[in-house]
Amino acid sequence: MNAGSARPLDPALGKAAAPPVIEIDGVSVRFDSAQGPVDALSDINLGIAAGSFTSIIGRSGCGKSTLLRAITGLIRPTSGSVQVQGQSSADYQRTRRFGFVFQGDSLFPWKTAAGNVEMPMEVVQGMPRAARRKRAEELLRLVRLDGFEDHYPAQLSGGMRQRVSIARALSYEPEILMMDEPFGALDEFTRREMHDEVIRIWRSRPLTVLFVTHSLSEALYLSDRIVVMAPRPGRVKAVIEVETPRPLDPSARTSAAYLRQMTELEALLDA
Amino acid sequence: MRDGASPLARAAGAAPALALFLAVALAWEFGVRLFDVPAFLLPPPTAILAEMAGSSELLLRNLGATMLAAVLGFLIGTGFAVLLAIVFLYSRAAERALFPWAITIKTIPVIAIAPLLTIWLGYGLAPKVAIAAIICFFPTLVNAVKGLRTVDAQALEFMQVLGASRAQTFRHARLYAALPYVFAAAKISSSMAVIGAIVAEFTGANTGIGTLIVTAGYQMDATMLFAAIITSSLATIALFYLVTLAEKACLFWPEARIDV
Repeated sequence: MNAGSARPLDPALGKAAAPPVIEIDGVSVRFDSAQGPVDALSDINLGIAAGSFTSIIGRSGCGKSTLLRAITGLIRPTSGSVQVQGQSSADYQRTRRFGFVFQGDSLFPWKTAAGNVEMPMEVVQGMPRAARRKRAEELLRLVRLDGFEDHYPAQLSGGMRQRVSIARALSYEPEILMMDEPFGALDEFTRREMHDEVIRIWRSRPLTVLFVTHSLSEALYLSDRIVVMAPRPGRVKAVIEVETPRPLDPSARTSAAYLRQMTELEALLDA
Repeated sequence: MRDGASPLARAAGAAPALALFLAVALAWEFGVRLFDVPAFLLPPPTAILAEMAGSSELLLRNLGATMLAAVLGFLIGTGFAVLLAIVFLYSRAAERALFPWAITIKTIPVIAIAPLLTIWLGYGLAPKVAIAAIICFFPTLVNAVKGLRTVDAQALEFMQVLGASRAQTFRHARLYAALPYVFAAAKISSSMAVIGAIVAEFTGANTGIGTLIVTAGYQMDATMLFAAIITSSLATIALFYLVTLAEKACLFWPEARIDV
């Protein structure tokens, strides 16, 4: 079921059959805990096609977030390798950067919305102040927060803060965007709004998205492919191609194909 | 919110405190006169005010010496504590080696080392500054160590994804995270610094509110004692207020202030 790394035309790579931008080859991560070693990830093999939208779902503790962190190099795999555009993720990280949107409030409360978006441009590219500000304003317009440039995170709603997080992650033009349960803390309505936003933004630029969630409907609504993971040890249980294209239409949530795949996913997660 | 209140509302809020203060002062004034309490035991407030006005030049000169020592000690103690907290942040070994020393310094009663510092550093400004600095050092160290580490774990991961250097992470994140904690400590230690300077003056100094207090004590001059105490209290309140103003200027983002 998993995409082989050397077969760019493998149907599991997605409809676009683009070459894989990320190749995960036999990655295992083992943590030492007080109760002995824990296999957070065990022999993960996955290829992520360029420009695709892939969701990773599974129960808590199945290693979804660990997988994202192993790909970005925040966690070093115990064994196996991650290749990003043919480079090791450490080498990739030296030249290009991953975009990263976190679940919680990882914005700096002492920086305004614009300040938070500007910060990576200063850190990564050393961009001059005026250029940073101009670009931050553009990005905040992209996430529909024009007029809120000078608001501090504490003055924004949860959904608006995640919009700032997305703008911040896009500020240094990453090719790959990691989203770690970004809407987990939002209410259902704000969350649906954010889904359509994410799809719109993803369509507007050449972006590969890896999206960790524990919501089946979220995964089905957003992605090309869904990677289903299982815990103890963290492993890939199945890779599902989503049949319904992203319609940006809430009624898609009641279509026959959607509901059938939902049932399939439910069964996979319960098994 | 405290800061949002209009001046009028704030004045109204202070009314009960002012009323009680006036009532106590009036009771004191008339009680002392009514029961003929001798002035060397308890002088009436008007006599204290008269003493403060009459000896204002003497009081202010000595207050200047004390406050100079207190402010210098406060700045040195706070600055050194913050620097050491930064060293601890980047070196666990330094933290393990030095933290027991910091705790030991805290456990030494300042009143006991004051004479020692006078022997070492003389009767001038130096021993007073040292005592004030020692008093300010520990609370600020503990708070700064904590504050520098309160940055959200995901925010730190994000800095890592960006490939930010330690200096960049410090400048964008840790510095601001520590500020509310450092100011919470500084507000407490600013008044402690004045007490420290006065205690140092007790054991030997040429000038200062502490020297005035010791001399007035020998002479059983309760009026002068009260005048000195009130003068130093007012100056301490002024210093606290200055630190609060600096805090307001530095903690510019919403919900920045913490109450420790």
